[in-house]
Amino acid sequence: MNGSRINRFFPYLLLLPSFLILLPFLYWPTLQSFIMSVYREAPFGARKFFCGAYNYVNILSDPAYLNSLWRTLLFTALVTGVGLAISLLCAVMLNQKVRGAKLYRTFFFIPYAISPAVAASLWVFLLNPVAGFVNYLLYSLFHIQPPWLTDGFLAFVAVSMASIWKDTGFNILFYLAGLQTIPESVIEAGKIDGASPVQRFFKITVPLLSPTTFYLVVMNLIFAIFENFGIIDIMTAGGPANATNFLIYNLYRDVFINFRPGAAAAQSVILFVLIIGVTIAHFKYNGENVHYQ
Amino acid sequence: MKRFFIVLGMLALMLSLSLVNVSAKEVTIQFWHAMGGHNMEVVNSLVDQFNKTHPGIKVEAQMAGTYDDVLSKTQAAVRTKTAPHVIQIFEIGTRVMIDSGIIIPVEDLGKKVARDRSFNWNKWIKPVANYYRMDGKLNSMPFNSSTPLLYYNKTFFKQAGLDPNQPPQTFEDLKKYAEKLTVRDAQGAVTRYGMTLAIYGWFAEQMSYNQDALYVNNNNGRTGRPTKALFNGPALVRFLDLWKAMVDQGTMLNAGAGTAPAQQAFLSGRAAMMFESTAQVNNFENGLKKIGSELGTAYLPLPKGVKRGGVCIGGASLWVTKDHPEEELKATWEFLKWLTLTEQQVYWFENTGYFPTTLSAVEAAKKTRFFTEHPNYATAFQQLLIAKNDYATQGAVMGSFAAVRKTVEDAVEEVLSGKKTTKKALDDAAAKVDKMLAEYNSLYQ
Repeated sequence: MNGSRINRFFPYLLLLPSFLILLPFLYWPTLQSFIMSVYREAPFGARKFFCGAYNYVNILSDPAYLNSLWRTLLFTALVTGVGLAISLLCAVMLNQKVRGAKLYRTFFFIPYAISPAVAASLWVFLLNPVAGFVNYLLYSLFHIQPPWLTDGFLAFVAVSMASIWKDTGFNILFYLAGLQTIPESVIEAGKIDGASPVQRFFKITVPLLSPTTFYLVVMNLIFAIFENFGIIDIMTAGGPANATNFLIYNLYRDVFINFRPGAAAAQSVILFVLIIGVTIAHFKYNGENVHYQ
Repeated sequence: MKRFFIVLGMLALMLSLSLVNVSAKEVTIQFWHAMGGHNMEVVNSLVDQFNKTHPGIKVEAQMAGTYDDVLSKTQAAVRTKTAPHVIQIFEIGTRVMIDSGIIIPVEDLGKKVARDRSFNWNKWIKPVANYYRMDGKLNSMPFNSSTPLLYYNKTFFKQAGLDPNQPPQTFEDLKKYAEKLTVRDAQGAVTRYGMTLAIYGWFAEQMSYNQDALYVNNNNGRTGRPTKALFNGPALVRFLDLWKAMVDQGTMLNAGAGTAPAQQAFLSGRAAMMFESTAQVNNFENGLKKIGSELGTAYLPLPKGVKRGGVCIGGASLWVTKDHPEEELKATWEFLKWLTLTEQQVYWFENTGYFPTTLSAVEAAKKTRFFTEHPNYATAFQQLLIAKNDYATQGAVMGSFAAVRKTVEDAVEEVLSGKKTTKKALDDAAAKVDKMLAEYNSLYQ
């Protein structure tokens, strides 16, 4: 009797330390965002009015915000989809038993280890229209000098490219770990049954990696929506003409530059709902297709 | 256990250090600024000198990032009641600071708190005092003032057969000159652009003032809070049309947002002309020397037949936050007053490229023949002095200025990329700005 009671409360006791940390740094600010989103506030907090759903109505009826929402979704899909495909490909190649494989793995992981600000500055140098290496190469090979960061479409491509490059290291690491859990015997059996390398890849490797993929999709969604702020801030600052003004950047501008904390809080609530929604949907529809060994 | 003692030791050290501070009765003044690189060193040496000559007061200068960063960090600091005494805020933050409720106007600080009768409140040159004087009061201490200039590469002018002492004065000339200055290779690709320009809202504002046009209503927000954007008038349309035509022609490099890429193009000799702040004079003179070129400067060009209004000062000023003990506010006043003395003013502008803001500093500069020896500094200063004295050149003030600037920059990008016509892009931007102004104003009704 006594023992079972201890068992019932013991897990909560173990959770308590993390909860105590999460409470002031995560739950409390989240709650405050919700409260702030129904207020309008003057810069420096001199005046504050309750305004109900004003901020939400204002944002959701703003074509610029809807445009930003649409672009964010496109960017997220692109970064997650293309990023994971490239990462898987790299991981499979890095999993080969070749000389110096460990060294290559380290090289591929480096982009994830450097800070977004440094990574973005690097890309700005590379893509500089005048002194950049990419345009120098393109000019000497094909005689073209694309305006990477001043054309809306190309800037979108450039930011996506940088984000994919930045997150690849993280994805590869997990895929490599996943690949190494696939027993040699299964692959061997496929070989004996006469499956080609491509068939083996799609029929054996990809399904057996589904738990990893499942986890990485959620992580990449979060990377694409939140973590790539630094890259955007330094590479394009949301421009040109809002082509890369994604939700998180729009939010940042509203709170720190435009001094509209209420509007920004409402945007963060919208983002919160969006992320929760996508994650639940992902668990519900894709979770069923995940094969755990 | 070892770690425990280290922590204990550090705590004891910190405690003793703070005790030392108290016993010395030193007043500490926090000063946040946005001067990076070379200019940061100039600020630091000024502060060091003040500290050396003023026992009992210690100014702690801290570079807090960009102008935007200083504003947002101050916001956060105010909420935790740790606002610095002196903050350097850019000119477009003026309205927000006045409305903030956290500042004490420097004129009140000097007259009421410090009861300083000897201070001359008319010591500033007119355009500078005009900008920061609102409701008949000087709200912040003018510090670093600048205006935009046309910079050009004299060596490239000679190579293109242009007279390096005859810079373009009209829009038409600018376009013609840029055509001549543009160099293409055998395949027709541009290797040197006639001109480059950063997409920076400040240039749009200045081009508007220069044609004597108001940016917003209520006399640029000088006689009441502005409620309507006026920048979609003919002045800015003319400037954007020129900009677009030159980019399309391939004689102007579109350097995108932020000023760094355009500066880089000019300094590396990939562009022959550009508009930039006077704060760059020093940097550009040295930079062009490195590629074997000579720097020239000129007034901002005007469309043919349009009368000159004039440029308005940009840069930043020093604001004082009010929630501090009287003793600290008095020390703050000492520091601000000291910065306006001729010696400090001269040191500041000779080392940075910002203007002398006081009349006595101008006199001193004339005596030492500084302007004769540095003609590029002189251009900047003369351009400011020939400006008409009216609401247009006094410059706009409004609450949501940073957002307004961004909106105009977006419009410029829409025009350059051919998404919208000039008039349409500016009209749309003006409609957005009207909404922003209404939203801001409604907070103070």
